[in-house]
Amino acid sequence: MADIVKRAGIARNTFYENFGSKEDCFLAAQQFAMSAALSQVVDAAGEIDEWPYRVEAGLAAFLRYVAEEPALARTCMVDALAAAPTSVRYYEESLQAFVSLFKLGRDVSPHGKDLPATLEEALIGGVFWILYQRLLDEESESIGGLLPELVEFALTPYLGAEAARAVAMEGDDAAAWGARA
Amino acid sequence: MSDPVNPSVDEPDYPPELARLPPGRHGLPREFVARNQYERLIAGLAEAVAENGYAGTTIAHITRHAAVSRRTFYEHFNSKDECFVAAYDTVMAELRERVDQAFNQEEEWPQASRAGIAAMLEFLTAEPHLARLSMVEALVAGPVVVERYDAAIQGLVPYFEAGRKGRSAEVLAGLSPSTEEALVGGMVSLISRRIFADRTEELESLLPDLVEFALTPYLGSAEAAAVARNG
Repeated sequence: MADIVKRAGIARNTFYENFGSKEDCFLAAQQFAMSAALSQVVDAAGEIDEWPYRVEAGLAAFLRYVAEEPALARTCMVDALAAAPTSVRYYEESLQAFVSLFKLGRDVSPHGKDLPATLEEALIGGVFWILYQRLLDEESESIGGLLPELVEFALTPYLGAEAARAVAMEGDDAAAWGARA
Repeated sequence: MSDPVNPSVDEPDYPPELARLPPGRHGLPREFVARNQYERLIAGLAEAVAENGYAGTTIAHITRHAAVSRRTFYEHFNSKDECFVAAYDTVMAELRERVDQAFNQEEEWPQASRAGIAAMLEFLTAEPHLARLSMVEALVAGPVVVERYDAAIQGLVPYFEAGRKGRSAEVLAGLSPSTEEALVGGMVSLISRRIFADRTEELESLLPDLVEFALTPYLGSAEAAAVARNG
């Protein structure tokens, strides 16, 4: 608690005027970060009709958010799981937003019906883990460069490695990253 | 000297390293007793953490579960954190050994991966307290443990990297350098979220999904699904 008020440069009283407890404050930070990240993902993905490119646009927006706000991103991707039950619940709910974006891939996949039920959760867990590792290494500036490999990773189970790679490598990713950033 | 002895009714079946010596006089060599106390403290910590969470666990909780005195605790550890690190390392070494053994018993990589994943799920299901300690509480147990947690998970990467061996150039071209990291992270996330939600009993049913997920980048969907279903 002392760490929070010191970093925020506010009085302890001010903290309690705003939050009931450290857990409340954490949840608020998590919700703030997740809803900001999600709205950017939804905006970016919503502009694109074709599913593989939609995933790419959504992931690009998410990586951009993580690169810009590494501390907040860490809060909602990792620390939330070790926080109070309300935070874990919120984490699970926000994960579902990503799950539904990925799940649309089952309609375009030749074997969409046979894919494991937990595939989307595992894919998102994998993406989060990679990002978390880069954040730990304090490499937030290199996060944008991960886009092609994460796109490929996310699309492979639906489209097969070759088609996934084609989508991931198609555009000039560096330019796409720069233009949207 | 020792706290009131109060062994829990349904005492979990810990791996040999975590087994405990009945408290009281036993005329055993001093070194053996010390080693055993250490193990009891570790098992006691796992129980106390399962009951109270890491943050809510006190040294008194640990010594009560371990049925040793506070002084004995401090003969072995300087703090709760230190005891947790020791417990974490013990659990992970045990888990790693089981995975390794299962993996190495199979000739072919796809089956070896399946066996390794199965061994991990089996251990975590059989030891829900240890599962919670290693996958949930480790995240809040301070930077030293978090670093070990990250290293332990990254330590699973080579099992999957082995899947690159003997693949065609086309398949290899489709694998980015971070493929294995993403696979391991995805699997761990599926597993830990079940443990967080106190649904540890569901873990073993994840086997086919996890196997298919892990093998698809190397074998393609159809073959990965076949190994997932039939071994």
